[in-house]
Amino acid sequence: MRVAVEEKVLNENQRLAEELRQCFRDHNVFCLNLISSPGSGKTALLERTLGAMPKDAKVAVLTGDIQTENDARRLAVAGFPVKQITTGGTCHLDAKMITRALADWDLGHIDILFIENVGNLVCPSSYDLGEHAKIVLLSVTEGEDKPLKYPGIFTKSELCVINKIDLLPYVPFDIAAARDNARKVHPGMELLELSCTTRQGLDGWLAWIYRRQQKTAGALAGT
Amino acid sequence: MHELGIAESILGRMKEESMRHRGARVTKVGVRIGELSGVDPDALSFGFDALSKDTSLEGAALEIDFRRRVQRCGACGREFETDAMLTACPDCSSQRTICIAGDELDIVFIELEDAACA
Repeated sequence: MRVAVEEKVLNENQRLAEELRQCFRDHNVFCLNLISSPGSGKTALLERTLGAMPKDAKVAVLTGDIQTENDARRLAVAGFPVKQITTGGTCHLDAKMITRALADWDLGHIDILFIENVGNLVCPSSYDLGEHAKIVLLSVTEGEDKPLKYPGIFTKSELCVINKIDLLPYVPFDIAAARDNARKVHPGMELLELSCTTRQGLDGWLAWIYRRQQKTAGALAGT
Repeated sequence: MHELGIAESILGRMKEESMRHRGARVTKVGVRIGELSGVDPDALSFGFDALSKDTSLEGAALEIDFRRRVQRCGACGREFETDAMLTACPDCSSQRTICIAGDELDIVFIELEDAACA
């Protein structure tokens, strides 16, 4: 006997992600999910981002790693709420981990929530965390063909940030080819280039965040 | 490498279906996997066999329906299956195409032995 099922394998994650999305909507929380290989600069970008925010900004970070509290320590310097999620071996964050981590935070005091995923370009792409947008980072010390090798995450991300552009003179990275590859895989994807070391391009990144946040708020007001 | 977790979810759903049918033996499960889903079919099969061994689900078959990515052209409306790397429209060459399928990760059906469901 064959029983038709037709449901997502990650049904439970999807259900929890929808709950998170509703929760973000209710509390006007704008949520971004940052994904990249290990070492592309997710934490550095968040350090710079938090450092550039006004002291009274309502911003918070959940940062995921397999082990250590190192990233949370680095990010807490800016004075905003930061919580480390240690997955203990799991290669991605899932919606349940986010729900658990947010349980003792008052979402009424958060306008922007950054989620720094575990460094990995494959598995995090399967798990909806209720975020408004996924952002994929790529650094110039990696290969410019990363978008072609990992089309899943580059297709699902709204924005691709190319980081460490201060190193371009010293590495064989072809940035035009990287842009081209990203657009081949995801024609509508936005691209930003920056350096967390020299801060070049950071203004464009901050402007993108605020613009995207307003777009979300506008869409909500329209409904 | 999260295929083990995915296999665990699939096996959990099979067990649930078996319970609904008075413990009927599950003989097969059908899943649909898109090439953008981030799941490798071979790794999933390996995890499925490893986790079902020595359980009531041992021997159940895993049927994988692998789907290519599908794009829709914003200019001419053509829908086309594509290699993950080539998203330009094959008809009008427009680059303005969007992904409409290819990230599936679904359980399609579960087959159980007829005997126990009379």
